[in-house]
Amino acid sequence: MSESTVAVSFDVYRFQPGKDAAPRYQRYTLDLTPHTPVLTGLLRIRDEVDPSLGLRYSCRSAICGSCAMQINSKSRLACETQVGPEMARHGRIVVEPMRNQPVMRDLVVDQTPFWREYSKIEPHLKLDPRRPMPADRPTPMTPVEVERFKETPRCIACAACYSACPAAEADPAFPGPMALAKLYRFAVDPRDTAHQERLLRIQPNGLWLCLRCHLCTEACPKDVRPSERIRDLKEMAIAAQGATELGSKHAYGFKENLKGAGQINEMKLVRATFGLTGMVGQIGQGIRVWRKKPEIMKKPRKIEGMEELDQIYAALDPPPKEGP
Amino acid sequence: MLRHEVVVVGAGLAGQRAALAAVEAGRDVAIVTKLHPLRSHSGAAQGGINAAIGPNDSIDAHTYDTVKGSDYLGDQDAIEFFCREAGPTVIEMEHFGTIFTRAEDGTLAQRPFGGAGFPRTVYAADRTGLALLQGLWERLGSERFTLYEEWELARIVVRDGRVQGIVALNRRTGEIQDVAAKAVVIATGGAGRIYGRTTNAHSCTGDGMAVAYRAGAFLKDMEFVQFHPTALLEGGILVTEGARGEGGILKNATGERFMSRYAPKVLELASRDVVARAITTEILEGRGFTGPYGPYVHLELMHLGKEKIESRLQEICDLCRSFAGLDPVTTPIPISPAQHYMMGGVGTNIQGETNIPGLYAAGEAACVSIHGANRLGGNSLMETLVFGKSAGAAAAAYAAKAAASSIGPADVEAVSATFRGWTSRKDGEDPSALRAELQQTMDRYVNIFRTEADLAEGLKRVRAIKERFSRVHVVDQSKVFNLNLSDAIETEHMIDLAEAIIVGGYARTESRGAHFRTDYPKRDDAKWMKHTLAQYGPTGPTLSYLPVTMTRWEPKERVY
Amino acid sequence: MKIAYYPGCLAQESAKELDMATRYVCRTLGIELVEFPNFSCCGSGFIDEANEALNIAINARNLAIAEKAGLDMLTICSTCQGMLNLAKVRMQDPKVRARVDGALKPLGIEYKGTVQVKHLLKVITEDIGLPAVKAKVRRPLHGMKVGAFYGCHLLRPADELQSESGEEPHSFEDLLAAVGATPVDYRGRVMCCGFPILFVKPSTANAIAGRQILDAKAHGADAMATPCPLCHTSLDAYQNKASKAVDSPLDMPVFHLPQVIALAFGATPQEIGLSRHLVRTDGAIAKVSASPTA
Repeated sequence: MSESTVAVSFDVYRFQPGKDAAPRYQRYTLDLTPHTPVLTGLLRIRDEVDPSLGLRYSCRSAICGSCAMQINSKSRLACETQVGPEMARHGRIVVEPMRNQPVMRDLVVDQTPFWREYSKIEPHLKLDPRRPMPADRPTPMTPVEVERFKETPRCIACAACYSACPAAEADPAFPGPMALAKLYRFAVDPRDTAHQERLLRIQPNGLWLCLRCHLCTEACPKDVRPSERIRDLKEMAIAAQGATELGSKHAYGFKENLKGAGQINEMKLVRATFGLTGMVGQIGQGIRVWRKKPEIMKKPRKIEGMEELDQIYAALDPPPKEGP
Repeated sequence: MLRHEVVVVGAGLAGQRAALAAVEAGRDVAIVTKLHPLRSHSGAAQGGINAAIGPNDSIDAHTYDTVKGSDYLGDQDAIEFFCREAGPTVIEMEHFGTIFTRAEDGTLAQRPFGGAGFPRTVYAADRTGLALLQGLWERLGSERFTLYEEWELARIVVRDGRVQGIVALNRRTGEIQDVAAKAVVIATGGAGRIYGRTTNAHSCTGDGMAVAYRAGAFLKDMEFVQFHPTALLEGGILVTEGARGEGGILKNATGERFMSRYAPKVLELASRDVVARAITTEILEGRGFTGPYGPYVHLELMHLGKEKIESRLQEICDLCRSFAGLDPVTTPIPISPAQHYMMGGVGTNIQGETNIPGLYAAGEAACVSIHGANRLGGNSLMETLVFGKSAGAAAAAYAAKAAASSIGPADVEAVSATFRGWTSRKDGEDPSALRAELQQTMDRYVNIFRTEADLAEGLKRVRAIKERFSRVHVVDQSKVFNLNLSDAIETEHMIDLAEAIIVGGYARTESRGAHFRTDYPKRDDAKWMKHTLAQYGPTGPTLSYLPVTMTRWEPKERVY
Repeated sequence: MKIAYYPGCLAQESAKELDMATRYVCRTLGIELVEFPNFSCCGSGFIDEANEALNIAINARNLAIAEKAGLDMLTICSTCQGMLNLAKVRMQDPKVRARVDGALKPLGIEYKGTVQVKHLLKVITEDIGLPAVKAKVRRPLHGMKVGAFYGCHLLRPADELQSESGEEPHSFEDLLAAVGATPVDYRGRVMCCGFPILFVKPSTANAIAGRQILDAKAHGADAMATPCPLCHTSLDAYQNKASKAVDSPLDMPVFHLPQVIALAFGATPQEIGLSRHLVRTDGAIAKVSASPTA
């Protein structure tokens, strides 16, 4: 039994900087079966209706990473996104270029910022001449060590995560999910001899700007789960070097903070994060909020069963590291 | 004007490996590529890379398997070299940082593959191409070279009997740019998009092969086109041979494991041409399933269990779920053969040299020949690295001694004028329509089972398409990312290559490996132990022949 | 229905108004809140960054408390919701389970993984159901355009949390419509409020918050409403900073989810602590058309 087609309306972003005054959306309507990929629809538009549409594509099987774009505001691979569910949810398919990367033409973006962040984390094995690899055989690596990479080897550098990331959007100091997931990949590679150095470098260079909003993990077509690897990096960094940045001080401070009462002591946390002198900068806002919400200065109620929490900490939270 | 000592065209595994070799030899190297290197089709390879590194395996065994797999058309000296280099090559890739699947004892895991008498296919789940591409790109990233990204090759300039450089279209700006070079390495991959049903990416349009061909390089063994037995029905997305290597089996519509009739000893792990013909025969004889997307048979993985499938065959698990709407853990996968690889290509020797001084080729774009009439799975990934290195090193050595090359505005103008002709036309032929017709023609007339009549008809149609291409009309006038212009450039290349395939296939009155003539169903060693060479001419290719090099193995009947 | 009430730290302290409104709404809908003085903070995502095993153990303990009482858990904070469910998911990994059990068992705490953790949004829209909610509406909020702001941890990672959708939920908008308000669609509704980096790089956090508020405003919202008091802090208490960061006046009132429902049920501003907000809410309330239907 043949699948029947439905009318699919594409609203495609068209813009050529330097040539067009402003972006516009062009509508194309095609009859397609519901499981047809958006990419197939766009290629048919090129072949049958409008050969001037600019987009990147190659493998059509979710391995080359070329066709990442925004589809109804979600950063996705066009080859892997089907028209049926999009039409059912939105009544049309709005196709736009990826975010956080300047538009070159229509759906084609300049990926320079994305590749630059990738290069900055030094994505290659760093070897120590004093510890050379065995010349005539592969470096031994157990399945357990391979497990530690989690899914980071599946990354196809499509930039969907980078496009979806609100931190990358707001702050050029944030390396973006792909670069950080790639850093994780090297930080757990037993052949790399620079784990500590990598963690040391990334702490003041944007690691703690991750919002852990998980939009990257939603966008990723290969289940790399960058936000979860970034979390791992954060824990690894604190374990290796202690809390050296505001971000790590805050996380570490929060953890320590619960030891008091089992609930958060807001004042104490602000002090742990900023230090006594750093707190000065928070005074203005602090007073402003305190006027409406005086509880921010109060010590929290101590929970019942606090001894249980104390024991859990003793069992699972090793003593703090003595600085780098 | 841009000038480098060695220009590598293509940034997949072969191109990158060639560039690395040339950089390590101290040359000024540039890579010209129409895709970002990590988007190259090398990354779509799934199943694995062959090397006889296991303690109970031997280089001789790998060599013999490859010779037999080639249906005795492979040059045995080249194959011996290739298999000798395989072990050190895979170790080198591991040292570069490639993340492979490991055995419990920490060594590289190896899986059985088609046509191999021993499990020697090293793998990274079912994304081995991606793993190698990442490892090599990461290694190359620490070296100094120039990358011209999203540039399309238009011409190789040959003058005074040697390579002078290339002319390319910068897709991002629309500029036609010349690059002077002493040596050029073609590593642009295959040309699967000549066919409508292919596992290949849209970018696989044989640009390097075609441009080299027009520049005077011989194409070798073009008629040998590999059809991979197992591709998803709609769209032809590849399902790795590794699925069969892990124990997957093929069944026809009567529930029969039919490979027992075609390859009684190794069943699903026979060489690809044998399996592809078996499936096609089952379908032609009415034992296939039928459906809206064409006839098919089943590839069954369910008996392997969820854990094995989801760890060793993770990518195809996802592919089936995303693109075929089914879960291979619980459901058989409908598959049928699709074009996959070109055994043929720019003719080279073991050093990657072509018949033009200064011009080299490696990878799928080249034909050495190690695959002969049929390639074994897992040998292509290895080919890119072994011959990428050879060609890069040879190109570098040549460039070190060669005099300065000379290329100029006239070379650029020749290309610009052609493109202007296409874009300034008021009316004419649509390049994507011509391409679609070409694809339909190849699918129908130049497929797994070939006849004289079909090949003649196919040639007639391709030549008609070629004639219409002379009136090709590019509508988009833009300079930036003009894919309409790219369509035309690529279609022209594909027409040339299609013609070479058909002419070679028509002339070869025997069946060998992937080239099967129902009118000449037997292999004819007496007449055909030779490679087909095709030389470009404006009215079509001129064929000549080169004997196969044999060292230790006499041709035998090929049974699996 | 009877449910274990997990208010989270903020609702007990600086976001008391959230607790007030929650109790009002639950009273009206017949949800009996059972309190547990031994619940601890969920770690707010920060402890998870510092020590994953500890974070899971702390929350497994919280889950076990409700389990022992034979009750599901009600959360009123997107972040608490995310953290408690994260613990459930991680505890399915045998290695994690073994490690955490190693710390809990000696304390006589037996985690079984049977408890359901539901945010108030889900309890109202699924367990109670919108028709029952509509039946309690005394003052339909006709005329008030509200931009829902879900909060990341309520939605993502969608596969782990089994949330309604990672990027395309609609339950909050359905609820707003059920109480008579006009839900506003805008991209920012599923984005981040910036709170996790508010004490890491305030300028960026403020810019992010400001961007989402501007987005809601550009799409016509009179007010925003959120199921997360951390988002509320970023969007309301720090709105002055957000406004500076995007160099634009915002003047966007931000409600807690149950406050909107409570208003529709007939609550006065005093009953739901609206005077505690940093951004005045009376402007939005004034948008509600004068004649209520009984």
